[in-house]
Amino acid sequence: MGDVVGKIREKFYGQIIEFEEKSERRIYIEFKPQDIPEAVKFVFRDLGCRFATATGTDTPQGIEILYHFSYDPRGEVVSLRALIPDRKNPQIQSIATIITGAEWIEREIWELLGVNFIGHPNLKHLLLIDDWPEGKHPLRHDHG
Amino acid sequence: MLLWPLSWLYWGYDMDLKTRALTKSLWAFHAATSPCNNCDIEVLDLFTPRHDVERFGITLVGSVRHADVLVVTGVPNYKTGERLKKLYGQAAKPCFVVAVGGCACGRILFQDSYNSPCPVDEIVPVDVYIPGCPPKPEAMIAGIMKLIKKVEGK
Repeated sequence: MGDVVGKIREKFYGQIIEFEEKSERRIYIEFKPQDIPEAVKFVFRDLGCRFATATGTDTPQGIEILYHFSYDPRGEVVSLRALIPDRKNPQIQSIATIITGAEWIEREIWELLGVNFIGHPNLKHLLLIDDWPEGKHPLRHDHG
Repeated sequence: MLLWPLSWLYWGYDMDLKTRALTKSLWAFHAATSPCNNCDIEVLDLFTPRHDVERFGITLVGSVRHADVLVVTGVPNYKTGERLKKLYGQAAKPCFVVAVGGCACGRILFQDSYNSPCPVDEIVPVDVYIPGCPPKPEAMIAGIMKLIKKVEGK
């Protein structure tokens, strides 16, 4: 168990909803969606982890977004998980203002899953054509 | 009398000088229209010492304006399909199109996908289909040889 995870647990004691250790080097930490920017800022800026990518999944409980951070010196991967239960109008604070590299993956999650990233500087289509019908999100299970 | 050493260019084969020059040096432009990169790796394998298609005069070029062959991999989506059409329009004719891989040949499992409107041959005319997922470099060499035979009219 690295000191990265220890520091996150220490800093966000009480804000962590669930802590899951799949293996020694693969850790999932669940936060409330509103706590994500603060946690990302801490992990990225203070702990110096590398932002690998973000992933979005449509689950029966809601839309789940995972922010994967890699701590390269020890080969650990820490994933911050946020579950957005509101499937009608899912929204979460954008982390593109903290990490510029997250801009494109947020655009992709926005167009494929319909998650509105609040505060994103340039939220427009990335993989789909510009005149893609609005409100049609191909990776949603109710897409049809 | 002076010209006789060159006359084989014209009379030895029943094709003109341009076609002969073309078949001896097919320059290829690699157009990756949203592939999974597996075919692309196999295409690049062709230029490594083991397969080395430069011995047939085939080489990759950086611009489609210099190309005789358009090597297409992947199933075009709405965005890359438009770009493939533009690429073919910019190529100097005659430009032959080679569809590499199952996706480019017929969309295989992406035919019901939300972002794949049509296979390659509905956008540009395809001369050679090389199926496989991914096709072996040997299969691609065989396909190119068939293309050369087709150009020669055999």
